[in-house]
Amino acid sequence: MAKQPMLKFVNIDRHMPNKRDANVRKHDFNEIYAEFTDEKAAEQASRCSQCGVPYCQSHCPLHNNIPDWLRLTATGRLKEAYDLSQATNTFPEICGRICPQDRLCEGNCVIEKSGHGTVTIGSVEKYITDTAWEKGWVKPIAPVQEQDKSVGIIGAGPGGLAAADVLRRAGLQVTVYDRYDRAGGLLTYGIPGFKLEKDVVMRRVEQLEKGGVEFVMNCYVGEDLSFDSIRGKHDAVIIATGVYKTRDLADPGAGAEGIVRAIDYLTASNKVSNFGDTVEEFESGELNAMDKKVVVIGGGDTAMDCVRTAIRQGATSVKCLYRRDRANMPGSQRETQNAEEEGVVFEWLSAPKGFAGDPVIGVMVQKMRLGAPDATGRQAPEIIGGADYVEDADLVIKALGFEPEDLPKLWGTDGLEVTRWGTVKADFETGRTSLENVYAIGDIVRGASLVVWAIRDGRDCADAVLKDLASTAAVAAE
Amino acid sequence: MTKFDENWAAAEVAKRKWMAENGMYSEEDEKANCGVGLVVSIDGKPSRKVVENGIAALKAIWHRGAVDADGKTGDGAGIHVQIPVPFFYDQIKRTGHEPRQDQLMAVGQVFLPRTNFGAQETCRTIVETEVLRMGYYIYGWRHVPVETECLGEKANATRPEIEQIIIANAKGVDEETFERELYVIRRRIEKAAAAAGIVDLYICSLSCRSIIYKGMMLAEQVAEFYPDLKDERFESAFAIYHQRYSTNTFPQWWLAQPFRMLAHNGEINTIKGNTNWMKSHEIRMASSAFGDLAEDIKPIIQSGSSDSAALDSVFEVLVRAGRSAPMAKTMLIPESWSKQAAELPEAWRDMYSYCNSVMEPWDGPAALAMTDGRWVCAGLDRNGLRPMRYVVTGDGLVIAGSEAGMVPINEATVKEKGALGPGQMLAVDMKKGLLFHDTEIKDKLSNALPFGEWVGHINELAEALSKVTEKPLYSGEELRRRQVAAGYTIEELEQILAPMVEDAKETLASMGDDTPSAVLSNKYRPLSHFFRQNFSQVTNPPIDSLREYRVMSLKTRFGNLKNVLDESGSQTEILVMDSPFVGNAQWEEVKTHFNADMVEIDCTFPAGADQDALRKNLERIRAEAEDAVRSGAGHLLLTDQHQGAAKVAMPMILATSAIHSHLTRKGLRTFCSITVRSAECIDPHYFAVLVGSGATIVNAYLAEDSLADRIDRGLLDGSLTEAVARYREAIDQGLLKIMAKMGISVISSYRGALNFEAVGLSRAMCAEYFPGMTSRISGIGVSGIQKKVEEVHARGFLSDSVLPVGGFYKLRKSGETHAWEAQSMHLLQSACDRASFEIWKQYSAKMQSMPPIHLRDLLAIKPMGNSVPIEEVESITSIRKRFVTPGMSLGALSPEAHKTLNVAMNRIGAKSDSGEGGEDPAHFVPEPNGDNPSAKIKQVASGRFGVTAEYLNHCEELEIKVAQGAKPGEGGQLPGMKVTDLIARLRHSTKGVTLISPPPHHDIYSIEDLAQLIYDLKQINPTVKVTVKLVASSGVGTIAAGVVKAKADIILISGHNGGTGASPATSIKFAGLPWEMGLTEAHQVLAMNNLRERVTLRTDGGLRTGRDIVMAAMLGAEEYGIGTAALIAMGCIMVRQCQSNTCPVGVCTQDESLRAKFTGNADKVVNLITFYAQEVREILASIGARSLDEVIGRADLLSQVSRGSAHLDDLDLNPLLITVDGAADINYDRNKARNVVPDTLDAEIVRDAARFLQDGEKMQLSYAVQNTHRTVGTRTSSHIVKRFGMRNALQPNHLTVKLTGSVGQSLGAFSAPGLKIEVSGDANDYVGKGLSGGTVVVRPPMASPLVAADNTIIGNTVLYGATDGFLFAAGRAGERFAVRNSGASVVIEGCGSNGCEYMTGGVAVILGSIGPNFGAGMTGGMAYLYDPEGKAADMMNMETLVTGPVTVDYWKEQLETLIERHLEETGSRKATEIMQHWDSELANFVQVCPKEMLIHIPHPLTLEQGAVPAE
Repeated sequence: MAKQPMLKFVNIDRHMPNKRDANVRKHDFNEIYAEFTDEKAAEQASRCSQCGVPYCQSHCPLHNNIPDWLRLTATGRLKEAYDLSQATNTFPEICGRICPQDRLCEGNCVIEKSGHGTVTIGSVEKYITDTAWEKGWVKPIAPVQEQDKSVGIIGAGPGGLAAADVLRRAGLQVTVYDRYDRAGGLLTYGIPGFKLEKDVVMRRVEQLEKGGVEFVMNCYVGEDLSFDSIRGKHDAVIIATGVYKTRDLADPGAGAEGIVRAIDYLTASNKVSNFGDTVEEFESGELNAMDKKVVVIGGGDTAMDCVRTAIRQGATSVKCLYRRDRANMPGSQRETQNAEEEGVVFEWLSAPKGFAGDPVIGVMVQKMRLGAPDATGRQAPEIIGGADYVEDADLVIKALGFEPEDLPKLWGTDGLEVTRWGTVKADFETGRTSLENVYAIGDIVRGASLVVWAIRDGRDCADAVLKDLASTAAVAAE
Repeated sequence: MTKFDENWAAAEVAKRKWMAENGMYSEEDEKANCGVGLVVSIDGKPSRKVVENGIAALKAIWHRGAVDADGKTGDGAGIHVQIPVPFFYDQIKRTGHEPRQDQLMAVGQVFLPRTNFGAQETCRTIVETEVLRMGYYIYGWRHVPVETECLGEKANATRPEIEQIIIANAKGVDEETFERELYVIRRRIEKAAAAAGIVDLYICSLSCRSIIYKGMMLAEQVAEFYPDLKDERFESAFAIYHQRYSTNTFPQWWLAQPFRMLAHNGEINTIKGNTNWMKSHEIRMASSAFGDLAEDIKPIIQSGSSDSAALDSVFEVLVRAGRSAPMAKTMLIPESWSKQAAELPEAWRDMYSYCNSVMEPWDGPAALAMTDGRWVCAGLDRNGLRPMRYVVTGDGLVIAGSEAGMVPINEATVKEKGALGPGQMLAVDMKKGLLFHDTEIKDKLSNALPFGEWVGHINELAEALSKVTEKPLYSGEELRRRQVAAGYTIEELEQILAPMVEDAKETLASMGDDTPSAVLSNKYRPLSHFFRQNFSQVTNPPIDSLREYRVMSLKTRFGNLKNVLDESGSQTEILVMDSPFVGNAQWEEVKTHFNADMVEIDCTFPAGADQDALRKNLERIRAEAEDAVRSGAGHLLLTDQHQGAAKVAMPMILATSAIHSHLTRKGLRTFCSITVRSAECIDPHYFAVLVGSGATIVNAYLAEDSLADRIDRGLLDGSLTEAVARYREAIDQGLLKIMAKMGISVISSYRGALNFEAVGLSRAMCAEYFPGMTSRISGIGVSGIQKKVEEVHARGFLSDSVLPVGGFYKLRKSGETHAWEAQSMHLLQSACDRASFEIWKQYSAKMQSMPPIHLRDLLAIKPMGNSVPIEEVESITSIRKRFVTPGMSLGALSPEAHKTLNVAMNRIGAKSDSGEGGEDPAHFVPEPNGDNPSAKIKQVASGRFGVTAEYLNHCEELEIKVAQGAKPGEGGQLPGMKVTDLIARLRHSTKGVTLISPPPHHDIYSIEDLAQLIYDLKQINPTVKVTVKLVASSGVGTIAAGVVKAKADIILISGHNGGTGASPATSIKFAGLPWEMGLTEAHQVLAMNNLRERVTLRTDGGLRTGRDIVMAAMLGAEEYGIGTAALIAMGCIMVRQCQSNTCPVGVCTQDESLRAKFTGNADKVVNLITFYAQEVREILASIGARSLDEVIGRADLLSQVSRGSAHLDDLDLNPLLITVDGAADINYDRNKARNVVPDTLDAEIVRDAARFLQDGEKMQLSYAVQNTHRTVGTRTSSHIVKRFGMRNALQPNHLTVKLTGSVGQSLGAFSAPGLKIEVSGDANDYVGKGLSGGTVVVRPPMASPLVAADNTIIGNTVLYGATDGFLFAAGRAGERFAVRNSGASVVIEGCGSNGCEYMTGGVAVILGSIGPNFGAGMTGGMAYLYDPEGKAADMMNMETLVTGPVTVDYWKEQLETLIERHLEETGSRKATEIMQHWDSELANFVQVCPKEMLIHIPHPLTLEQGAVPAE
């Protein structure tokens, strides 16, 4: 029997890459995990059980061939591991950093389920592609053959970029339009640097640029350029705008100064701390938590990003209010733990009832309990009467989720059908919308969701676009 | 007269024909095994005594035959004797003629049509015409007197008119010429009859020397039916007799044996290859021996012949062409010679080497009794798989046969008692009055001709090829394109190819195959995936190609095969390679040795051509091949390497078979070799299919290039030459395994034989390009294949695809569909955890929404009528009882999982199966909470682990696992790391020591052996039902018919997709058929033969929903096995790493810490079975059925709803859906009593031993016995176990049974402590089978003059699976002595080949010589060999052994005690001599100990070793 390089979970324990100490890391915006050493990566990859039915793959939106690249990593075949990983994922190193693995691949890892501790899939994934960048294996796109078909993509977030990548590799002419000054969407301005350092995103954008993808930045569709003119310029258009409208609170006093939207807060912080930009609202203190008592409302990943950003900006205290309990929060458990280590205090089963002062000085909190589960099994929170109190605050950040903007109205495109939630109506597999040659992907179709889903949508949609354009070409040729 | 008559026969024939055309039955699958023997007077003097002995012997082998449902129709029996001239002279005189005493007389024994008098007359005319045409005189016809009362109804209904034609040698030619011309006359008659459309004319014999009386009576009735045989004038110098046991139940008189030259017990596994090659050989053979008459004798093998009849035909031609019977046997069934333990004499080797170069061996189990008129011989096949015992009597007779003691002899004057070994022969030259033993006859044969000179022309290439440095053909981009175009995947390269090269072995995998049949898949599947490997079960044994490698050979002949009948050196101008595998550079080297032209044939077709391009190009390559051979080319190279953007590669299997079959049809195949270079070929299965399609050698160039690429990338150490050598080793082992699983040991007989069944290849295409291969489910044809290969070609050459990741073996999203995937498993587990039928329904819906995986997925259930209220349908409890969890051993499963299944199934009144490996006796008492943890079904598998008298008595059902779905025809191995304390205790072995299960049951080499085992089991447990587990294969129906006749009560047909704890990956994928096919075949054939009612049919293999159950019921199954789903319910998540002992969920592991992770419980399993039942109930209600019984066998309620993918010509499932006439009347009663077997001597013993059994009084009983007293002592042991327990306090001889005579098979099987059996005489096979603590003593009668150590006293396969007790035998044992012994202590005085094979415990002392391959696979126990001449070392298989002198006191004492006891029990002379000089004799002993045991034995083996710690 040749040496069995895998199945080492039996006697090797799970180890994450070293995490910087909370007291150190909370003073900067750099990533908190170190890279695996080569030996450690191989050792941790070797814990994989090489399942006959890889649940990790089944629960990965991209169906990454995880057991295969783990095996290649365990045996030191990193170039091949990279090729394989890259073949199903446009940005493996980004997913490796920010995917909630504990809910996807790692959360379904067979050896985790049986109590051995999951394979550290995300960290290995990140390690593989970071190594590939380091070794120069990641090359700009060089299509075998140029084609004259062109595609316009509105939105330079992960979905748009993933689609751009696939289309460009096939030789199509691709233009990406985005309202921000930098490409990357939430990858650039939504996610804080301590989770995803910005050069990781920028080198991908650069790779696409070098590969011939054209970027039109600072472009508000509907203002700077009409949607119809974009349609007119391209053989197909993909809408990948994401969802940016913040869910709001209607509680008394919600309009007070000092109550801000998470997206504004995070964007400002990212610009300032990662790119060194000057942002007016930050300078003015409006979006800066320094020396403030901060309350963040919400229990999702955005809320986690806000509380940890506030810590790094030097807040005097940071509290997070969430109306359900820890077990029922939508955000990643791992991030919650990181936040607690850094000094965030979570107030579970707590909901805002109103706000005191203008500028705000406190949040009126009511305590909740979990009621009977509904049809989906989720327990609805109920108010506990008479347990209200006031939480002092001089910066309140609303991280209650995002909703779609009203695109038909913004863009003046009546023909674009939307759902009753305002998302664009599109086929989930192909992204086809009610308009011919117009596709939509990512959050604007799904509602706020994960980066990895946006990538999946982008890739699937690009395949559909290629197929559709090829068939129209074939028809034309006859 | 009978109520049937010929209308019955005609209707029966019509029914069979219709079934063969429309159903799953195939006449070609019918098999026969039997008992056989001969009596010959050495001096050649005819006497009445010989005939009487022959008749007596027939009466003593009835138990080796089978009886039909009517209780009287046998499967055939007969006797071959010399023509008693005076007897026939008297007959001639009675007709008024005067016999011409100066002329030789010939007699023909003829079967004529009985009721059609017109046809009868035509036959007589044909016979007379041909006799007269050759110039001989006819005395007249004689109506042979017969007594029809002794016939069964069916036999009588098909009885022919039996007449004799008496002929005079009017031409006055010599005897040889007369015989040869009589042969030609017979062949002419046969042809003329066929031309006249008469099928019922059959000539049993037409000879001036001998005559054959045979028919469809029971063996003991032969002389009753033919009163001639009892006539005092009826004298002969020899008698060859035969009793047939057939899987066929339609009485065909002509298939009774003996045939004209031989009687055969066994089966020719290579029959397809042999028959094919004969088509080519016969052209040159016939013309040289028969000149102008050549056309009259062709074809040598008539269509419709059984394997034995075919062998007889070829044997006869060889004899008629001047070969003696011993030489003909040597050519056709040579012993294995190239790898013998002790080198054979050079003259022998030369002779065999010559034979090997002219003829492919006829391989398979064979005990033969044969004669050419002058010589009478007995012989065995190379593996010695059938018994052949013989005695030489004081009055000059040689009596040989399947059993000892068939003819009573005078023990006081007997000269010799022996048993033939593998490949051995015993020959009597009646003319010279000489008896030749094996060595003598082979010396005589090998010195008769200058074989040594002839074989000097053979060019052995091994040496030259070993020096070649390997080079790749393609690399980089070109390699990648070709890999993609050949359908390679990363999985294939990483998981299949790489392990073969790293380990020189095939990869192991686990769990079952849950991917679609190739024909149902929408992915590209290589053509090899449509081929399912054939394998042996029941009627012949598979071989262990690892432990018994010496009989296996891949020697490949190369070159123009000359006339078989020439005796000269011209035949040997050939090249010989050691394997059909050839590397890239080796091929270049091979070419330089060619002594004839080579022509290359480009096996590609243009890309983008029309739909017919592949077909046209197949015609092109056929024409090119024919032209090449006709213009003198001796070698063809078929290659697909010219593929590229503009050229598409043909599947090389198709190309090879197209050319091979074409050349065979044209009689040109033996004029050339065929080398195949194939890109697609990568695993052993593909190699096997290519060789089976006719390739002489195969170069897998792209696989080799892929290895070179790995080396370039630093993934493989060493040079390409070394890598290819290891790859070749793995392929060679794989090929051997594939051949061995169907019992074939020589590749030349496997080549071109297409020993496969196609699933989903179009029948038309098979008929054209794969003639002779079964394809019962038609599907993809040439144009469909063209489309598929064009697609994969385009991916490789017309786009920039990377290698796909794969997903065939393990699920990958982008790869092949797997039935078990994350969501379906999750739903199943949630349903069982939460007892939610709602979730089960989601699961069931999910399963149904998958793309088609199984044949049944193309079927739909039709309603019987209006739906009925569900309350009216039989209850869940009632339905649940039909479920079984199939045999999963404790060893594969963790003890927790194993017990959970037992408890769960017992709670609901269903059954679990213990699997192989015993069961904890603690399970035999209920748990404190009332749960019963004991499996209701106990398995008896080939390893016989833990199979004790106690185990066999604690169950309701015993299952004989003949084959396992995941790896039919293969054995298993439980690696040492899985052998925990518990497992070691249950299996009577040692912790940490590897345990091997052999591929065959060593007591089932044929159907009558199975009948014997069933008999044994029904003796040890008087109420148990016996199940025989078979794997679906073509022919499983006829095997099932034989199994029913063997008195089985339940037959389990397993699908190929059953699970496994560890099997070679390609075995899981490519052997066996879906249960749908096997079950329907079994159901149809049993129904057709009126045997269906006698058994319960059960099926398993991928039954996943209630719908599957209902469909299985409609296809004929009454009970259903749920394996994988039950494991999943207990937490299995198809990690498919069972073989690694790292099951993360504790289901399939022995690791303590992992077992702690087990979360299963009985409730979950109960829920699972309940859901199945509930769903079944709902379906039954919806179709208007009130019970499962109503739909069993109702295949008419199924209809095909999909014809599969668009590219298929036709996917025709109708053969599954036919109903046999009369099937509607079958009564399916699962509660019927078991099939009764006759009592044996134990009925008397138990009566006589009443005081012992009731009161425990010590007793001694005494009986005279003969070989028909089988399984003596076993029923008595059953009583002992029940009355006193197996760990009782009885004295070892509390009940002593003394027997005098030759006792039958299975003496003392499963004997329990307290029973002692003493035989004065001898015993047959299986002495002490499963011995469980009893004592067996066998010694010669007091009067016997024989030297015990030189004579055989007990037969083959002694102490198989014994766990405890003693055996002392003063004489030699046959083959496979103490095989898989795990606890008994034994002393004997010599043994045949494969002694102590797979032994895991106990002590064997052998005071005489041993046969070759001693101790193969022995991993436990201890053996001592008395070896004063130092010969033993050569005979041992040292792979697992260490040996040395006996030096340590502990062992000395063990040895001495046993020999003393032997002396005491048997009075052995040998033991006396040894004990007298013990101090000096001790040095003559060799101690044999398994290596793995060294660290476990209580005392060191040597004094030096004692000094070092035992680690």
